[in-house]
Amino acid sequence: MKLIFDYNQSNTEHTPSQEKDVDLPEELKRISLPLHDVNEIQIIRHYTELSRKNYGIDTNFYPLGSCTMKYNPRVNEDLAKLPGFSDLHPHMPASHVQGALQVIWELEENLKEITGMDAFSLQPSAGSQCELLGVMIAKKYFAEKNESRTKIIIPDSAHGTNPATAAMCKFQTVTIPTDDRGNMDIDEFKKVIGKDVAVVMITNPNTLGLYEENLSEIKDLAKENGALMYCDGANMNALLGISKPADQGFDMMHLNLHKTFSTPHGGGGPGGGALGVRSFLEDYLPVPRIKKENEQFVFDYNKEKSVGKLHSFYGNFGIIVRALSYLKSWGSDIQKVSQIAVLNANYLFSLLKEDFDVPYDRRCAHEFVISAKNFGEKSTINIAKRIIDYGFHAPTIYFPLIVKEALMIEPTETESKETLDEFAKVLKTIIKELREDPELVKNAPHTTPGRLDEVKAARKLNLRWMPKES
Amino acid sequence: MAEKKFTKEHEWIEKSDQIIIIGITEFAQDQLGDIVSIELPQVASSFKQNDVMAIIDSVKASSDIYCPVDGEIIEINEKLLEHPELINQSPYEEGWIVKIKPNNPEQIDSLLSKEQYDELVGQSKE
Amino acid sequence: MNFIPHTKEDISKMLSVVGCSTLDELVSEFKPRLSELKIDRPLSEMELVSYITNLSEKNSQMKYFAGGGSYDHYIPSVINHLVSRGEFLTSYTPYQPEASQGVLQILYEFQSFICLLTGMDVSNASLYDGASALAEAALLSSAYTKRKDVFVDDGLNPAYLKVLQTYCDGTELTITNTIDENTACVISQTPDFYGNIKNPQGLIEKAHQYNALFINCISDPTSLAILKTPGEFGADVVVGEGQAFGIPKSFGGPYLGFIAVKQFLTKKLPGRIVGMTTDDQGNEGFVLTLQAREQFIRRERATSNITTNQTLLALTATIYLALLGKSGLQNVARASYHRAHLLHEKLRKNGFESVNTNPFYNEFIVKSPKASEKIIADLMEHNIFGGIDIEDNKLLICCTEKNSLQDIDSYISAVIK
Repeated sequence: MKLIFDYNQSNTEHTPSQEKDVDLPEELKRISLPLHDVNEIQIIRHYTELSRKNYGIDTNFYPLGSCTMKYNPRVNEDLAKLPGFSDLHPHMPASHVQGALQVIWELEENLKEITGMDAFSLQPSAGSQCELLGVMIAKKYFAEKNESRTKIIIPDSAHGTNPATAAMCKFQTVTIPTDDRGNMDIDEFKKVIGKDVAVVMITNPNTLGLYEENLSEIKDLAKENGALMYCDGANMNALLGISKPADQGFDMMHLNLHKTFSTPHGGGGPGGGALGVRSFLEDYLPVPRIKKENEQFVFDYNKEKSVGKLHSFYGNFGIIVRALSYLKSWGSDIQKVSQIAVLNANYLFSLLKEDFDVPYDRRCAHEFVISAKNFGEKSTINIAKRIIDYGFHAPTIYFPLIVKEALMIEPTETESKETLDEFAKVLKTIIKELREDPELVKNAPHTTPGRLDEVKAARKLNLRWMPKES
Repeated sequence: MAEKKFTKEHEWIEKSDQIIIIGITEFAQDQLGDIVSIELPQVASSFKQNDVMAIIDSVKASSDIYCPVDGEIIEINEKLLEHPELINQSPYEEGWIVKIKPNNPEQIDSLLSKEQYDELVGQSKE
Repeated sequence: MNFIPHTKEDISKMLSVVGCSTLDELVSEFKPRLSELKIDRPLSEMELVSYITNLSEKNSQMKYFAGGGSYDHYIPSVINHLVSRGEFLTSYTPYQPEASQGVLQILYEFQSFICLLTGMDVSNASLYDGASALAEAALLSSAYTKRKDVFVDDGLNPAYLKVLQTYCDGTELTITNTIDENTACVISQTPDFYGNIKNPQGLIEKAHQYNALFINCISDPTSLAILKTPGEFGADVVVGEGQAFGIPKSFGGPYLGFIAVKQFLTKKLPGRIVGMTTDDQGNEGFVLTLQAREQFIRRERATSNITTNQTLLALTATIYLALLGKSGLQNVARASYHRAHLLHEKLRKNGFESVNTNPFYNEFIVKSPKASEKIIADLMEHNIFGGIDIEDNKLLICCTEKNSLQDIDSYISAVIK
């Protein structure tokens, strides 16, 4: 295995030729720069080879739960790279960037219509940064009302970012168990809801892939007690054109542009977050807001109640372009996305129900959770690794935490019936292998490298290359 | 050899003269999986009963270790910083975590006995 | 445009397996149903391209002499071709490492490059951007020292300061103007927002005197090719913006935050970290490691909620750094430095007043003899974005290797008329 640091050859000149050294005091100057020069041809080969050791949606089915690994339309990549966008300097005055401002404004308008929220901020870089923003807004809102509220309620199925965000902002997390229908336990909720609760943070549909059946009651109780309802919209792919979170009773919600709105995951980022709020919270959103005044778009920094800024500029603009392009391609047909996403999930669920343990036997939304607990401890990790041998990527495993040996599967709407049939067949084959030839599964994947030692990685830290001189 | 006491949070306590030695149980280390690091308290720092005094990280989990009594840290097992796996391999001996001088030794008496702890663990295994 | 591969027959077969008669019945539980959706009809690919291209053309294209957190360096062609490969573009966070060795190795290389450039011991696999990286460093310092005060030296990018303030307000930290036993961290940007290269020695010593952490913040890290490293000066944490490493300006985002620390802070790093390990045959490979620090394990005990990093942009930066190598990077830094000094000198000779008290890298401040709005406007008429208007008729001007001698002469002609 060769690292880029193992090459050392003369490079091609990409910029005009050599300048003389700089004239700075010695105490400020760099003495040695421990980098090599590498030829462009070697660069292309090195990184091309690495790409071939990597699996993406372009490769095959990638059914990670709550990640919404749908096809990333290539035309959106071309559009984001148009020089009129990619070359644009963010300090340019509004008069010279009307097109860019219109892109941001239009996406906000589209998202308002889809979710029913009254205002959006596209500044956050990710869903978790949206949650941070939402909790900061809640904090400021209650401080201004002189109400002391110290708690945030979340279900025990929640993604780890929910309690982490609450803790960052010095709120106490109160966790509500999930009942045996997969809903937040309404009796336990009733015991805890009160005037000391700032936010009720719910993912809907939840991380079990189930629509919250007690939502109406939860919403009423929250409102009665003056608590804000926050929707973690990671699972919005089930609701597009079908139901609006604002109508469901949420005061704030976030969307992940890199999930529901098809912007590419890029190996873990960049993403884009969108935080939507009802009008009574609009003034708390970060500045600048983009306003339309007499057919012109302007930056509005004049928001005294704003919590401040989360991004040094206006948000991940390149991601915003892609998301807007996606929405304009679907337009008023967007309901089809969610209908087929939900159909695909229920279909695959039906195919697998008889082979796995089903913790909640209900119609699912756009994703579902099954359990491999009947095959013994650690079956799920072994199944996940064996799936790689069959050319697929594993679903999300060991999440949500409330289901033992969990597999969380979200097909998305861009997968064909054939792919789902094939995937189901692979899982059924692996289960057969678990009975007839368990070592084959326990030692998976049979790739090079094989199953990597994560304990060693954490105990004997090797986090970077070291040059030989040091 | 003094009889060990236990807590609901899966710590064991052993008396040795005026101080007590604390670690986590076999059950706890098994639940955590392979331990990769531990955050230890400072020597001479004081804790109240049920304060978090250490954090153990495994590959897949992170667990708070609670101080079972009011007291002051006398000694910490620094070997664990380089060799956290000692907690997995020898949770009751080489994997001890801290030694404490308790302010109120009576608090130890109200902790769980071995039988009570074994029952607790038995219940949580389905 | 159809991203749904199902035929009518597929749908009907699948509905019968599921036990529903219509798609509508399948989603009947999702209440309340919306009454209407006021969105335009769908566009075909051809129509979409026309629509969005039209929007892109409503933005003026310029020669850039502005920085302030976004830098106009040259991006070699090869980078985009590599980074657009579907195996990188469409992959997810590498939670199944055996299927993601490509991304993991490149992130390991990225972590290595950041350490080599900054002179620090350990880096992570990137954060959202420079501003939030700075905020995360403040949170890290507070968790490590168990203190709540944050000292900020003059000259920090004002937008970064606003973001830092926002994070501090939300997490109950306080930005103060003294360094004392309550200080968690001392933050200094160099080169600073006004271009000044600072020697942080004195400030580092003061921070350490009080057991506070010193955080160095870097806006244009091409400067690291010629400046003494923060690691050598003794910084505990270095954060910054990696956009200068091959990432387009893109109207402000997405960008690339980086963070690097001295060894003793390794386990306090937020976000994702890649480590090298072996399989049971002794083959080397890479995995995400020290995951117990992160939110999905620590949950409410995490110091940061961060999830997404900026992987694709970290890949971009890695390829840029590998491609330029030692001589290329030095070239870029020297050219940026010399062009800026040339323009500065020419402006001085034409009635502009020099303002910087320190040596500068590629950004500097001058005070204009005329109203700064007029200077900017005159330059705009020549399709030159001449700098950032700071108060008091001062302009913050930046040069990179892209600004040719002709460009500089055009600049001067436009302002002296």
